[in-house]
Amino acid sequence: MNPPTIEVPQSRKHMGWTNVWRLLGFAGVAFFFISAFTPVPNILSRWLGSPSQLEPAQAIVVLGGGVSPDGVLSNSSLRRAIYGILLHRKGLASLLVFFGSASDAGSSEAEIRAEMARELGVSPEVILAAPDARTTREEAVFGETLLRARGVRRILLVTNAVHMTRAQALFERAGFEVLAAPAHEVSSGVSNPEERLRLMRRMLEELVARLYYRVAGYL
Amino acid sequence: MGQVFIPILLGVTSVGAYLVGAKGLKLSGTAVQKAASKMLECLGLTFVFLGVNITVGVIVILAARAMTGAFVSLYLAGDESLLVLSLIQGLVFQGWRDLSAPPPSNRSRQ
Repeated sequence: MNPPTIEVPQSRKHMGWTNVWRLLGFAGVAFFFISAFTPVPNILSRWLGSPSQLEPAQAIVVLGGGVSPDGVLSNSSLRRAIYGILLHRKGLASLLVFFGSASDAGSSEAEIRAEMARELGVSPEVILAAPDARTTREEAVFGETLLRARGVRRILLVTNAVHMTRAQALFERAGFEVLAAPAHEVSSGVSNPEERLRLMRRMLEELVARLYYRVAGYL
Repeated sequence: MGQVFIPILLGVTSVGAYLVGAKGLKLSGTAVQKAASKMLECLGLTFVFLGVNITVGVIVILAARAMTGAFVSLYLAGDESLLVLSLIQGLVFQGWRDLSAPPPSNRSRQ
């Protein structure tokens, strides 16, 4: 019959966890303020991104960026596709390859982008649509099969700057000489809190993806 | 201006809320620190729930891929709605903890 000896350890345990939650909460608030109101995301994105290496190549390879079930290209997909078409029109490579898997119903992202390129004046003979790859690793694997048959070794790779490092490593592993052609989807110079948070989120996603690819042995 | 607008806005409304609370509603000024501390606890729990939700989501997606062969994007586990839902989980859990905590001992009053 000694209640204090029972109550005190429970209370201490309660307070111990309370302090852990407070510390986590403080860390989260600090991270939020640093991400939204300081240039840290801008600096990190420049550090994580790949610089542009625009030189003549045998093919321009545009990676997938997402498409909605009703066939509307995502912002990311559209930017990459337009940048790939612009590079082709500059004469940097003769072949233009679009990746992008099929949406739940209807055409694939690759086919939608290929059609867009044709309508923008690119000759159908130089466009390849590769709708089977669903991940960056699959794009490298399918890319190897698709382009090796055409004797392509040197490619201009189009994706966003933060994604480029992982994608470039995978395509180099597949035997290509890769020139980075980053299509900027979120500017590294953004200054409003919402854009900075979006930039930080994109970088965190990419860091987790890199970790996953390393653990899985893809990189 | 764009970079300082929101911090200034937040500062002004926070001072306004403090004045309304302290002068208008006669709330205790010293309780603000405890309220901030409670807010940090709730947020801490929110981040725990967010981490658990994302981790479990990734495991479920990888398991579904392995077992069914169907492709499910890992990006699903990073949906922005998870942050708000984790906040709700954190708030409920914190409320549960508070309501279940043993009543303060009255030995100190004796």
